[in-house]
Amino acid sequence: MADTGVSTRRTLRLDERGTAGPGGRSDEVVIGLSPAFGDFFTKTIVDIPHAEVLRELLAGIEEQGVHARVIRFRGGSDLAVIAHAAAKLSGSGIAVGVLSRGTTMIHQKDLVRLSNLELFPQAPLMDLDAFRKVGRNAARYAKGESPEPVPARNDFMARPRWQAKAALLHIKETEFVVPGADPVELDVRFQLADAG
Amino acid sequence: MTTSARRSKRTEALEQRPVNLDGFVEEWPEVGMVAMDSPYDPEPGVRVENGVIVELDGKPRAEFDFLDQFIADHAIDVEATEQAMAIPAVDIAHLLIDPRATRKDVLAVSRGLTPAKLLEVVKTMNVVEMMMALQKMRARRTPANQAHATSARDNPVQVAADAAEASLRGFRELETTLGVVRYAPLVAIALQVGAQAGTPGVLTQCALEEATELELGMRGITAYAETISVYGTEPVFCDGDDTPWSKAFLASAYASRGIKMRFTSGTGSEVQMGNAEGKSMLYLEIRCILVTKGAGVQGLQNGSISCIGVPGAVPAGIRAVLAENLIASMVDLECASGNDQSFSHSDMRRVARLLPQLLPGTDFVCSGYSSTPNYDNMFAGSNVDAEDYDDWNVLQRDLQVDGGLRHVPEAELLAVRNRAARALQGVFAHLGLPPITDKEIEAVTYAHGSKDLPPRDVLEDLKAAQSVMDRGVTGLDIVKGLDAAGFTDMAHSLLAVLRQRVSGDLLHTSAILTPELETLSAVNDTNDYAGPGTGYRPSGARWEEMKRLRHVVSAQNPEQEVG
Amino acid sequence: MQRPCNVTPLTVPGVTTPSQVDLDPGRDYPLAARRPELLKTPTGKRIDELTMEAVLAGEVAPEDLRIAPETLRLQARIAEQSGRPQLAQNFRRAAELTALPDELVLSIYNSLRPRASTKQQLTDIADELESAYSATLCAALVREAADVYERRNILAS
Repeated sequence: MADTGVSTRRTLRLDERGTAGPGGRSDEVVIGLSPAFGDFFTKTIVDIPHAEVLRELLAGIEEQGVHARVIRFRGGSDLAVIAHAAAKLSGSGIAVGVLSRGTTMIHQKDLVRLSNLELFPQAPLMDLDAFRKVGRNAARYAKGESPEPVPARNDFMARPRWQAKAALLHIKETEFVVPGADPVELDVRFQLADAG
Repeated sequence: MTTSARRSKRTEALEQRPVNLDGFVEEWPEVGMVAMDSPYDPEPGVRVENGVIVELDGKPRAEFDFLDQFIADHAIDVEATEQAMAIPAVDIAHLLIDPRATRKDVLAVSRGLTPAKLLEVVKTMNVVEMMMALQKMRARRTPANQAHATSARDNPVQVAADAAEASLRGFRELETTLGVVRYAPLVAIALQVGAQAGTPGVLTQCALEEATELELGMRGITAYAETISVYGTEPVFCDGDDTPWSKAFLASAYASRGIKMRFTSGTGSEVQMGNAEGKSMLYLEIRCILVTKGAGVQGLQNGSISCIGVPGAVPAGIRAVLAENLIASMVDLECASGNDQSFSHSDMRRVARLLPQLLPGTDFVCSGYSSTPNYDNMFAGSNVDAEDYDDWNVLQRDLQVDGGLRHVPEAELLAVRNRAARALQGVFAHLGLPPITDKEIEAVTYAHGSKDLPPRDVLEDLKAAQSVMDRGVTGLDIVKGLDAAGFTDMAHSLLAVLRQRVSGDLLHTSAILTPELETLSAVNDTNDYAGPGTGYRPSGARWEEMKRLRHVVSAQNPEQEVG
Repeated sequence: MQRPCNVTPLTVPGVTTPSQVDLDPGRDYPLAARRPELLKTPTGKRIDELTMEAVLAGEVAPEDLRIAPETLRLQARIAEQSGRPQLAQNFRRAAELTALPDELVLSIYNSLRPRASTKQQLTDIADELESAYSATLCAALVREAADVYERRNILAS
């Protein structure tokens, strides 16, 4: 199992701020969240807290001097759909889509939906460092740079361990889909929980 | 669980066992997370009016989804169905395992059965009975095996050498795929060349997106195709951007160019994609099998394939995987029976998953066996890899069961790997592709995997790969290149493979080419199993070959080893 | 192997239709080995003319390594007599498709994908298959698809 490297517990508060619209600033990256991210689900398939996932993504984006906006997509649980819809709302045209189980994609609004800039299909291999690098690369694309893709990792023993659980997580997430629902802008707050 | 509970030493030992790294989940029949025993699967039934099936497994024709309609109109024999459906499921199961009933007797019944009825039949059977049945229902009398030959760096030199070794070890089919898809033309050429260096007549394929795969086949750079996927529910079929009609048309397209092909399906894909419509994995797979039958395709790769982690995680999942192989064979399709994806951390469990296909024999026991170490396997790992060769050979010898492979002394392996790489060097030079150095040939002769090889200039290779497509290079150009480089026997062998598409003999069910370049299929090598003492049994020269291993003590002089 | 001698060799291509040839799967399959006299490439070459020497002399083109519609119809009869009617039907559709260029075959395949075509577009394809290529079986398959796609709502809108 991936070492989550988390010693202090952070909790995540996501407050809805109404329907999300297109972004005005060209120096932003949108993070598109799946229906149950940080809600029904609290951690990825390898137990990385969603608070930490989001924190690393945001840190990766912000360390490049780029602005981040977080939007939840309740309309579907397909990663390509979420990432592509997020890219269309992004002022730079760049977005990161992330599913509750940790599968992640960087998308660009002018690409066809089934294409992408970078895809990280194996959720069990996504650790904190990988999420930080995804955020960083997304920001660099937004600045018009051509970063080296985050090295893709491959583990041929991931299937026997995680495939069925991934299917269950996907089905469960799909239960939270509200067909036709508008994307919602989120306020993100992290709080340090009491040790316990 | 309480964290403070004291654990026994035994629990600690068990916790360390590799099997506990595997994933197991509870059944959830409402969403299809169940192998083959779901209360939501339909009851078998059929109604025919004026020569048309108007009701299938309790559903009236007006409510048929596109799979129901395709199966009713193309797969099920309307003349035979009412009579066949009247036979109790358990009686059909008896027919399957009774050696006095011939394969033909079963086919006379199975041609009229609906998906729910086929499910009901196998639900009455345990795994031993299913293996009995599979031994009789396999279409080709002689079993065979298929290998993967891929490279983590898409290195064509490696693929040629591993293909040659796999070919010499006994595989009759070789499959490759890519990390970087644009590499495909070079790697497919390497596979084709390497395959001919081992034993003649090995057929090759390159797993790609449907249209590209067809193009490589039409050019004769590959010899057959397999990655033509079908799915068991309408939404998942549409997500795959196909329908039974588009796939049936594609099947005819392949045949129209004289190219052998089979479809691919497997339990677990629908629930994996989140749209199983609350049906069991096996019921949905049976629909795939019958769509394949109805499309007039000669065969199917099934046995869960890339979704093996899903049936593998639920109760009776591996029984269901055997059942899907059996049903494919029982409706007279060639069956390339899986065992081709990383399945378990436990060696014990890997073998248990393999035996139900290895013991009865299937048309291709693995589809395929990784001819590289699994780290190089670009199908995300296989259930068995190059490090399992000796174990496989011992299993064959222990049980006197033919899994299609043989032990080959190292000197012969080194020679054939070297020869394949030199032949590819010649073909690349002939076609004006980036050079293969003598240093690369030396390295690949002795290599285990891509880590042992000098890296190639990937950008130059990719440019060359594109030029292969732009210039319209075909299989004939590879033949000429082999001849020009002095590898005339390999040139002859490849031409013989290409010539097969003129005759169409390989289009028949379960067809392979023997090392003597003779076509062996269900037409001229019909499985004639009829109980003890009949059917295919390794004997004669083949059995002598199977007795050889890396280390066997000589009876003549126990201080020495034979072989 | 001795060739069976109960068949008049085809000296003039096209005179004997596949349906007139006496075929027995047990005796005549594989055709390349048992009945090579029945096999011609679409370019009119005999299979034994496809030699290494001919390839090196530049006398064999990629078009010579294709299957002829007559051959597919012979193989269809072998499939039928072996109890495989669906396989036979596939071979007969394939026989029709031998006349189509590769690009057209690929484009029809793409048109049959879900939500790729309107009903009219599929009907037009079927008409073209029938009128330009006498591909009646393939036309029927496309028309059937058009009807099912309409009922199941997977036509292009």
